[in-house]
Amino acid sequence: MDLNYSPEDREFRATTRRWLDANIPKQDLKTLDERKAWHRRLYEAGYVGMLWPKEYGGWGATPMQQAIVQDEMARISAPPAINGLGIGFIGPTIIVHGTEAQKKRYLKKMLTAEEIWCQLYSEPNAGSDLASLKTRAEDQGDHFVVNGQKIWTSSGPIADWGILLCRTDAKVAKHRGISCVLLNMRQPGVEVRPLKQITGSSLFSEVFMTNARAEKSDLIGNTNDGWAIAQTTLGFERGGNALGRVTRYVTAFAQLVKATKELKRGGKPLIEDPSVRARMGRIYADLEVQRYAALRVLSALQKGDAPGAASSITKLSYTEFEKRYYELALEILGPFGQTMVAREEFEEVDTSSGEPGTFATAFLWSRAGTIYSGSSEIQKNIIGERVLGLPKEVRADRMKA
Amino acid sequence: MDFSFSSDQQLLKNSARAFLDEHCKPATVRLLWDDPRGESESMWKEMSQLGWLGLSLPEAFGGSGLGMVETAILLEELGRAAYPGPYFPTVLAAAAVDAAGTDAQKKRWLSAIATGDARATVAFLDSDMDWDPASLTTRAEKSSKGWTLSGTKRFVPWAHVANVLLIPARAPEGPSLFLVDPSAAGLKLSPVQGMDLATRWVHLEMDKVPVAPEAVLGAPGQAAPLIGDLLRRGAVGAAAEMLGAARRCLDMAVGYAKVREQFGQPIGSFQAIRHKCSEMLLEVENSHSAVYYAAWAQDAKAEDHELAASVAKAYVGDASRKVCGEAIQVHGGIGFTWEYDLHIYFKRAKALESMYGDVDYHREQIVRRAAR
Repeated sequence: MDLNYSPEDREFRATTRRWLDANIPKQDLKTLDERKAWHRRLYEAGYVGMLWPKEYGGWGATPMQQAIVQDEMARISAPPAINGLGIGFIGPTIIVHGTEAQKKRYLKKMLTAEEIWCQLYSEPNAGSDLASLKTRAEDQGDHFVVNGQKIWTSSGPIADWGILLCRTDAKVAKHRGISCVLLNMRQPGVEVRPLKQITGSSLFSEVFMTNARAEKSDLIGNTNDGWAIAQTTLGFERGGNALGRVTRYVTAFAQLVKATKELKRGGKPLIEDPSVRARMGRIYADLEVQRYAALRVLSALQKGDAPGAASSITKLSYTEFEKRYYELALEILGPFGQTMVAREEFEEVDTSSGEPGTFATAFLWSRAGTIYSGSSEIQKNIIGERVLGLPKEVRADRMKA
Repeated sequence: MDFSFSSDQQLLKNSARAFLDEHCKPATVRLLWDDPRGESESMWKEMSQLGWLGLSLPEAFGGSGLGMVETAILLEELGRAAYPGPYFPTVLAAAAVDAAGTDAQKKRWLSAIATGDARATVAFLDSDMDWDPASLTTRAEKSSKGWTLSGTKRFVPWAHVANVLLIPARAPEGPSLFLVDPSAAGLKLSPVQGMDLATRWVHLEMDKVPVAPEAVLGAPGQAAPLIGDLLRRGAVGAAAEMLGAARRCLDMAVGYAKVREQFGQPIGSFQAIRHKCSEMLLEVENSHSAVYYAAWAQDAKAEDHELAASVAKAYVGDASRKVCGEAIQVHGGIGFTWEYDLHIYFKRAKALESMYGDVDYHREQIVRRAAR
């Protein structure tokens, strides 16, 4: 056990810090083009696609280096890169399962955010039970004709391409008749309707596919291999944001401390109230433990240990923590925890994904974490079955006919 | 950055597990419940032969010169076995002698502890039960022959079997530490028994207990930093032991959920049980991160070593309470019976929850450091 950062990692952190200090955008990025330009600069500096192999335009860096970059960006509230789903999940899927032609066509433009990607997985009636999805793809020889509806599609409104899970065989068991294919979002048969989230922004959407066309050459793996491919995608947890996330929590804690020094109860600063102190002590212990756990994950990744189902523990831990954290902050802040536009400096907080906002936006956003990428309940099923080895539950869709 | 155990550390863990599985079975623990001393002499001797008592003592005194991480590894296993005996109070007192003792004091006590010939303990709590080292009420007064100590010490672990008591007291110069002979005049020991019959506490009444000048540990009035350091080591060690007890409870709950059938199914197949077990595992894994981060931070004198000790004790206190309690719930009625072994570990975690600073004390330490 040695929890010191290696000299190389410390040097890398210093270099990253210098680069970010010199290059961080002076103004807020308002348009997609501005964000793409910032993304491009991050990429060219070696801070995007860090884990991708060099032959596909990546940087072949270590998980620790990637986490350090995210940590340094969080430290100074730098705007995050975009195309996160593409670079974090879809690209690696293509690298592992795709053809040479697919890699050549898609990967570089994904890295540079010339093309934005979305994930077309969930459907109105296929959420946690993703394998029951109904979107059909009919084999037309050189292409598929796709009909159906997807929902909760992040980045849908700005996406150029999507990775689609669709049913190619309705006669076999539901997990066996699914294929994975790349879909051009910029075609008449694809309609994207933004969905407004409880934060008020529209980062996700519904996607309607009406006789949309997907090329056979864009099939990932073989027909009906989609479920297995999706499983590897869902299992990607590279700890990229592990440190940055915690740094954002720490920054928010400093803001909370600032607030409790300015606000008063009974004529005395809130920070002197024993009940406030006890709650803040409890949540800070919780926060520090998320940091230790992040270091543990990064240490395992560094050694090449695949976290596998154990990554469900990590996801469950920090997403549930984040809800407790912002709930507590709002309890302490009173009406100041409700404001969506900051008037006082202590109200300004970045969400865990790095979007600027207030305690209220971070609080609202914390409700998403325990739902997306497999809800907390699904994570607990995975932990129970695959880590603890508890027996599978009896489910109607697993019963023999 | 390497959060995993080295191969030597893993070896230590494995050998501790193997030893305790054989020599500290639940039946062994039960037998000692009724023993007046409450510990096994032969187990103590074997532990010293395994090098556990000198684990973090210098090689010159028969020790292995290892650190808090290794101590935590052992304590986790001891907690997992609900080991009954003065292991941790002894090594804690030894660490103090090692840190601040004179050559004579080290010669007198460290070799004897490493060989298993002496046991020791630390008396942190005064009559008003304040964990804050700044509010010591036990008094040390100068006398013609050295010092006299007067006051009350509560919940002193295993003092009835100790050969030496390490007693913090307030001298005119300030907080000081004294090595006290348990048979000294004016010192009265009486047993205090909590719900964990394998944890023994002693109530100490001191009325002008004479202490020789050479029994002061470190300079009189200068002991505050060392007492703080001991309390932090105590907190990390207790957290490690609670982690072990919690892991045992989790293992028992999961094992039971796999075989116990209701409604024609193993109860572990029901989400109500499976989700509970998953949450318990989450708490155990986070506790592991907290304990070993804190242990490493003490060894490395990391910038945040004080914070980390309090985080570990506060977090694992909450976590072990939840995990051990839920283990009873998963078991149902059998988990509430005296004959079933689960309560042995449940009670061990409970006995440590309020020692070496309770959750409230450590939360306050955390806020002092995090909310400046």
